[in-house]
Amino acid sequence: LPTRPVDKEKAESELTLNIKKATNPDETSPKQKHVRKCIVYTWDYHSSSSFWNGLRVQPILNDEVQTFKALILAHKVLQEGHPIVLRDAQGQSGWFETCARTVGSDSMRGYAPLIRAYVNFILSKLRFHRHHKEFNGLFEYEEYISLKNIDNPDEGYETIMDLMNLQDQIDQFQKLVFAHFRGSANNECRISSLVPLVKESYGIYKFLTSMLRAMHRRTDAMDALEPLRGRYNTQHYGLRRFYYECANLKYLTNLINVPKLNHDPPNLFDSPDG
Amino acid sequence: MAMSNMSKSVVRTGKNYLKGFTGTQIKVRDATSNDPWGPSGTQMNELAQLSFNQNDFIEMMEIMDKRLNDKGKNWRHVFKTLTLLDYLLHAGSENVVIYFRDNIYIIKTLKEFQYVDDFGKDQGANVRQKAKDITNLLQDEARLREERRSRAHMRDRLSDGPPP
Repeated sequence: LPTRPVDKEKAESELTLNIKKATNPDETSPKQKHVRKCIVYTWDYHSSSSFWNGLRVQPILNDEVQTFKALILAHKVLQEGHPIVLRDAQGQSGWFETCARTVGSDSMRGYAPLIRAYVNFILSKLRFHRHHKEFNGLFEYEEYISLKNIDNPDEGYETIMDLMNLQDQIDQFQKLVFAHFRGSANNECRISSLVPLVKESYGIYKFLTSMLRAMHRRTDAMDALEPLRGRYNTQHYGLRRFYYECANLKYLTNLINVPKLNHDPPNLFDSPDG
Repeated sequence: MAMSNMSKSVVRTGKNYLKGFTGTQIKVRDATSNDPWGPSGTQMNELAQLSFNQNDFIEMMEIMDKRLNDKGKNWRHVFKTLTLLDYLLHAGSENVVIYFRDNIYIIKTLKEFQYVDDFGKDQGANVRQKAKDITNLLQDEARLREERRSRAHMRDRLSDGPPP
């Protein structure tokens, strides 16, 4: 299947090893080289069942750090893996729920609330993708999708509301992560969960901006869009603060470019492309 | 330093021989080695020409794929292969463009490449930037076309000598 020179048998055994290493008990970020191999596997073979199976058999549930790292790994593979990952993941909600339920009362290192919130967010994300199959895991902008939705304003309106709900959930979750930083300790593991959140929130933001602009161009009922404008502006300020706080985390800015938003939200009545 | 590089290149020559790499593959391996210099313009230009031959093209992709998936310690392999790829996308055969569009995830997933060396220097930064640039180029069909056209145009003019 792949046009790359690959060896399926070797890939399967390496996948198991990569999942194991990405979710080891060290309180660090899941190593990107292992995460990357999992992502590449799903593209090479257009399949994610081995990935989900591999994750399920890892004995991670009695260790809060391992569970948290497994969620970061799953989130990144959902975002950047082959589209089939999002479809296959619909059958994995049981496993995610188990992660949230199993995390012990003896959460010595304070990951329990983070794990529960992360699972909540991932399940919402999966619900979104179930209803809106045209979006990829990172909400990367493609013009035809926004055109498609403004042909049917009702559907467009609903999609925007659903995207905004997801964006609100990212905002709540990131605040929880920041609230759980430990003063003197090494926060690398917690910070690494912010990386996929920054990417995803920015993808949604760009999508919302272009969809709302397209809707404003097309419709005469400006009043009907007023609630969306209000909510969009609120989210703009929330995101701006989130990115500002992320920009102060050296570990994070070494890994990704944190977007910098203007002070004021962009004008939705403008069309930048004329 | 010079000595250790020399002995490394001796080892590389031995490996080339033992593993049965072809002449073209050895050229790719040399251009993307762990030496702290290169690849040179001459090397990249020669490989760009070779990419127009189907056999050489396949052999090249085999080595480039290995190099791109190399581990952090060998970040130079990854970085120099990206440098070579950038050149090939501009001046090599159309097959290079098709191959890496199909397999763009190999490049995309290098945008978070990490390697901090023993002196605490973040050597991954170069790889991350280059991976971003190439991803953007691959996703911008119009720009890639234009850049390939102007490169070919320039090459023709240079080979024809100055206009009369």
